[in-house]
Amino acid sequence: MKLNIIQRIGMIIFLAASLISCEDFVEVETPNDKLIRTQVFEDDATAKSAMVGIYNQLRLAAFSNGSRSSVTLLSGLSADNIRNINTTNFTRMEFEQNELLPNNPNNLDIWSSAYNMIYMTNSLLEGLENSEKITAELKTHMEGEARFVRAFTYFYLVNLYGDVPLVLTADYSVNELISRNTETEIYEQIIYDLNESTNLLSADYPNGERTIVNKYASTALLARVYLYLEDYEKAEELSNQVILANSTYEILDNLDEVFLANSKEAIWQISPIGSGGQVSHTNEGSLFIIDPIFSFLASIQLQDEFVNSFTDQDKRFTDWVGYHPGKDAFFAYKYKIGNSSEFPIKEYSMVLRLAEQYLIRAEARAKQGQISEAIDDIDIIRGRAGLELLADIHPTITQEELLNEILEERRKELFAEWGHRWLDLKRTGKATEILGENNAFWENTDVLYPIPSEERMKNPNLSQNNGY
Amino acid sequence: MKNNYRRTIWVLLLLVACLFFVFTQNMLAANNMERSSFSFQQEVSGKVTDTDGLPISGVLVSLKNTTSGTLTSLNGTYHLIAPEDGILVFSFLGFKTVEIPINYKTEINVHLEEVVSILDEVQINAGYYNTTRRERTGNISRVTGAEIELQPVVSPLQALQGRMAGVEINTGGVNPGTASTIRIRGVNSLREEGNYPLYIIDGVPINSTPIETNSIIGFAGMDPLNNLNVSNIESIEVLKDADATAIYGSRGANGVILITTKTGKTLGTGLEARIYTGVSTMPNRLKLMNTKDYLNVRRKAFENDGEEPDEYNAYDLVLWDQDRYTDWQDLLFGGTAKTTNANLVFSGGSENTSFRVGGSYFTQGTVYPGDYNYHKITGDMNINHRSKDNKFSINLSLNYGIDFNRLVGNVSLNDAVLILPPNAPAIFNTDGSLNWEEWGAANLDNPYKGFFNTTNTESNNLISNLGVSYQIFSGLKFKTTLGYTNYNSEELFMLPSRSYNPGDNVTNQSTHLSSNRNSWIMEPQFIYKTKLNKLHIDALIGATLQENTQFQQQFQAVGYASESLIGNIAAAKNIINAKRSEAEYRYSALFSRLGINWNRKYYINLTGRRDGSSRFGPNNRFANFGAVGAAWIFSEEPWIEKLEPFLSFGKFRGSYGTTGNDQIGDYGYLDAYEATVGPGGLYPTALANPDYSWEINKKLEVGIELGFIDDKIRLSLSRYRNRSSNQLVGYSLPYTTGFNSVQANLNATVQNSGWELEATSFNINTDDFKWQTSFNISFPKNELLSYPNIEQSSYANTYRVGHPLNISLLYEYTGLDPETGFYTVRDVNEDGSFDYQDRIIIQDQNKEFYGGINNTFSYNNISLQFLFEFVKQEGRIDLFDAGSPYNLFERDLTTPEEEDGFQTISQSYDAYEGFSYVLDTNFLKRDASFVRLKTLSVSYSLPQKLTKVVKLKEGKIFLQGQNLLTLTSYQGLDPDLPNSTSGFRNLRTISAGLQINL
Repeated sequence: MKLNIIQRIGMIIFLAASLISCEDFVEVETPNDKLIRTQVFEDDATAKSAMVGIYNQLRLAAFSNGSRSSVTLLSGLSADNIRNINTTNFTRMEFEQNELLPNNPNNLDIWSSAYNMIYMTNSLLEGLENSEKITAELKTHMEGEARFVRAFTYFYLVNLYGDVPLVLTADYSVNELISRNTETEIYEQIIYDLNESTNLLSADYPNGERTIVNKYASTALLARVYLYLEDYEKAEELSNQVILANSTYEILDNLDEVFLANSKEAIWQISPIGSGGQVSHTNEGSLFIIDPIFSFLASIQLQDEFVNSFTDQDKRFTDWVGYHPGKDAFFAYKYKIGNSSEFPIKEYSMVLRLAEQYLIRAEARAKQGQISEAIDDIDIIRGRAGLELLADIHPTITQEELLNEILEERRKELFAEWGHRWLDLKRTGKATEILGENNAFWENTDVLYPIPSEERMKNPNLSQNNGY
Repeated sequence: MKNNYRRTIWVLLLLVACLFFVFTQNMLAANNMERSSFSFQQEVSGKVTDTDGLPISGVLVSLKNTTSGTLTSLNGTYHLIAPEDGILVFSFLGFKTVEIPINYKTEINVHLEEVVSILDEVQINAGYYNTTRRERTGNISRVTGAEIELQPVVSPLQALQGRMAGVEINTGGVNPGTASTIRIRGVNSLREEGNYPLYIIDGVPINSTPIETNSIIGFAGMDPLNNLNVSNIESIEVLKDADATAIYGSRGANGVILITTKTGKTLGTGLEARIYTGVSTMPNRLKLMNTKDYLNVRRKAFENDGEEPDEYNAYDLVLWDQDRYTDWQDLLFGGTAKTTNANLVFSGGSENTSFRVGGSYFTQGTVYPGDYNYHKITGDMNINHRSKDNKFSINLSLNYGIDFNRLVGNVSLNDAVLILPPNAPAIFNTDGSLNWEEWGAANLDNPYKGFFNTTNTESNNLISNLGVSYQIFSGLKFKTTLGYTNYNSEELFMLPSRSYNPGDNVTNQSTHLSSNRNSWIMEPQFIYKTKLNKLHIDALIGATLQENTQFQQQFQAVGYASESLIGNIAAAKNIINAKRSEAEYRYSALFSRLGINWNRKYYINLTGRRDGSSRFGPNNRFANFGAVGAAWIFSEEPWIEKLEPFLSFGKFRGSYGTTGNDQIGDYGYLDAYEATVGPGGLYPTALANPDYSWEINKKLEVGIELGFIDDKIRLSLSRYRNRSSNQLVGYSLPYTTGFNSVQANLNATVQNSGWELEATSFNINTDDFKWQTSFNISFPKNELLSYPNIEQSSYANTYRVGHPLNISLLYEYTGLDPETGFYTVRDVNEDGSFDYQDRIIIQDQNKEFYGGINNTFSYNNISLQFLFEFVKQEGRIDLFDAGSPYNLFERDLTTPEEEDGFQTISQSYDAYEGFSYVLDTNFLKRDASFVRLKTLSVSYSLPQKLTKVVKLKEGKIFLQGQNLLTLTSYQGLDPDLPNSTSGFRNLRTISAGLQINL
């Protein structure tokens, strides 16, 4: 039987050996519907796709999609241009009444989608940094685009929440227990990213598509940042740079053409293609337009006081405000298409446009005492709206009157776009004066949204804003 | 007349031919006998061994019908002189007696099979090895093919309901092809998709995850076992405890279902043909109101609300015909589904080779309106060969099935229609198109919107297995199995525009889905058996290499110019939403078993497995699992033998061990980018965790098995406790990390414990009359033992620590508001709103106990078998929203409203709110226990006199009924779906058939 024992030992060795070889056996290749992050950034084509992914996701991310949890809607409700038709939607009513609770799910949507967008940009920037195989030109361009999107996202976070955590890495173990950074630190990062991106990006739009960020988009956002930070000299200088690029941008005479895809007034737009190609309308279109037949679906209308502030000849009223007789409701009608699956896409969501740059330059100049130059700028906007020019009717306007006039023009020009009114009232310190007037519950602390309670439950290092 | 006459002649001729045949056969036999008396003597020698090749000494080798004979020597050999055409009889205590004709052979080697008692006769498949009821140390339930083969079901698993303790089967519904849900001893994983048991068909693992479909059964998915031929199943074994499942390592946590297909066994050739056909109908109806009562209730609502009915708030009162009545239930499921099954098997074999070739056809319709049906064609083959010296054997089995499932596409044909006002307009126009006008006039959509959508799913499945074994020397065997499976399904989902309201502007569309699953497996093994005095040793060591690949591809084609072009993608305007996903899974393992017993009295069984799986994170690729099982047959002890024959058998057994669950999705650990919904983009979809690994299930079991009165009554009682920990769940993170969770193994534990009893009794066992009863009952208990920080997880509103996983969280019903008469619920935290913090009532939705009683009677040629299934559980009921424009349960309208417990009849918003809250309260709780006559079958074997005449070996006529009777107090359609008043998943089927063997 000795042989048998040897055989048995041999058998065990054979099996042990086969097991060791199994170590390699259970390694599998990644499937072709997934790409490991490091592989994404080893190839120009896939790296490019990661940037396309960010643009696509901007159309889906709650804060930027123009739909029910977007800054456009919710911050719009917080200000005095629009209101809910259905007052039983409590979570949205909290925005309208400036009575936000920390557990408001829409508020969490803004926060979570913004940080998800920041994760994507961080992941992409890290991927680029560690990659040596991507051509330098592409790397430069993509870094510029990603830095822009990150700065853009932080811009809204810092304006809506004040101090927020500054997340600059994709590593969750670092970000899990992160504390809030000061507004100044956030703005420093925004300015840094935007300066970088202005340097990295070129001035043209590939294929004429204004959904891709270019140098001017970055400059335009930075102009806004400086305006908010009250650095009027820089705000003027940067908005001036954008306005001077008049071969690329112009103020369109026909108001119905402003929000069309790749309109000459657009500096940066988000395309509905990100939703997958089933539909071709913007979310803003479907949210704001009250359908003549399916009016029961409507949820948002313009506030009467705001509608009444337009004069009859104001083209922005005739062209950008709709009316539904059955509901007796006015609605934002900047986008004309509320539901479409027709291609090619006719309208893109507007994020940055030239009119705002004129308004920035006007305000920056007015603040610096350059009244007549400021009047010229504001008259570009008034003139296009078919209004009499300030230069004609009120050339001796005082600085304060002019600044009020600019604020009023901003309201009428930029309503139902990206919460401009809310941010304007907040930064000019007029929120309490204007919003508190009609709201008995208004408190000064309402200018900041609460840090979502779910977030604070998971991360004890996050403090809450005052008043919540 | 002339024809009749001719037929008589033919019959007579046939009879004469038969008689002649019988006569000549007898003559030949007589000749044979005569010749033997003149035969010559010769020498015969050989060796007698057991099935493991071990020699048996002391076997009596005798010559039939004589007194001469000899005994085998120590090494099992014998030698004797016998007539060359004599018959040798080999007999030995504890082994089956074998007779072998000498037929001029000089060497005759024999394998004797062991037989001790009835408990030992049946070989139980334990996966890598066989055991018997007597010797098993683990818990294995078994159902034979004979018990299920006549059931008109698509997937064999559907036939197991009520037949096994600890095995809970919920059929997915009445649409053919729907995947059933199988839970062996409860739900172990917090993740719904982590609870599938392991399916093994002839040694080849089959992916048990249902296959995705866009049809109406899309929610449950398609059963991956659909393509099997139910008639080709020899047995189904379910492995439950650690002892039985640990050898499957990281895949054994949820239990293992072993399906063994039939092999050719008969000597000589045989042909078996069977056909049955049947009809299925919906057995009952909800007792809903008729038009008159319904409209009275509606009028009452307006009266109570003090409102004037108009065409908007009361289209049923103002716009619609006040006398029209449609029984929507009849329209919805009043149809008859036909089932037909034909089965043909040809089998045969010689001493060393056997084969079995079979084919079957199965078709089943649906009770729903429309032309929907299911067809299945299967082919299977099994070839078995043993070398003459029995050292080498090879076994090949192939199972191939192709099915065509034509179902309505992705449209619920259920709830919404059932509760329509009984005077609602017709669904269809007279020309068969959907009626939009009348419904549209009331501002409603036709509830059958989407009705003309169809899915055509064609799938085919090959499961093949080749087993080779070689006896290296006495006691040691090398065996290897090679398996290959291929599943492929193609689905075309057609959405013609006439399915939709012309106003919706929906174009003709189609969705195309293909799925493919491919796998191969190789399992070399060494099996060693030896006996040292009274110590028996069974050892097994083996390895597994397995690879599964799968892909799924889907796209939509829109804008076909006409309905007839749907599916022809070249004619589509646009192709959108194209998706493809693929996955590769690789798995390797080393497994072993050591079974030792002393004198067939004390048993120890050690099993273990070392697994490596590509699903685990790179830091955690390998894992060890193992179990120990022990049994003590105390009835073998001398002091207890005195109790015989009353206590004829007694065994204690127990086991403890660990198994794992690797159903955690492929590539979960990868830091990967995926395609965005928008074209051309990639984005990160989740945070990655490289430490990601399997869930662990620690199983403990003790059991006692008893046999009384010569094993006429057998009992098996088990107590088990399984703890599933290391749960792979989303570990919650703040959104500042980009996402709100990362998949990680958390220290959360789910416990399943319970009692199971299985009993069989041979009540009467005479030659003419036999009556056997078997009974099983399970008392399962499920509990989430721990889950750190559950409040912050995505399961915060799903699970509660200290309670079962299958719960519903309910408000507390606080009666009718004395002022308004509407339902009220308690606002626990008094914050003015109702949310999950107010849902303090926890309702256990598990069955308290369940089981079945099966009786089999046979009297001469007739046999009768019936199975009762019983369940004790709680359910819920709705359909009492009086006042809204929906039909409701019949109720006594003469009872004053404030007395019948229901809220004031009203259509106001407050009434709606009251009703919608009360739906989530304990108010709806009802007993939903039931006893159901699951199957009843009667069969009649044609008497031999008759079968001989028509030259049949056997003939049988049978009648089978499913779900013939249900006893329950539950008001809903089917107590098997106790939380859905209008849901159902069991039809009443009656079928009849014929079987002949040639």
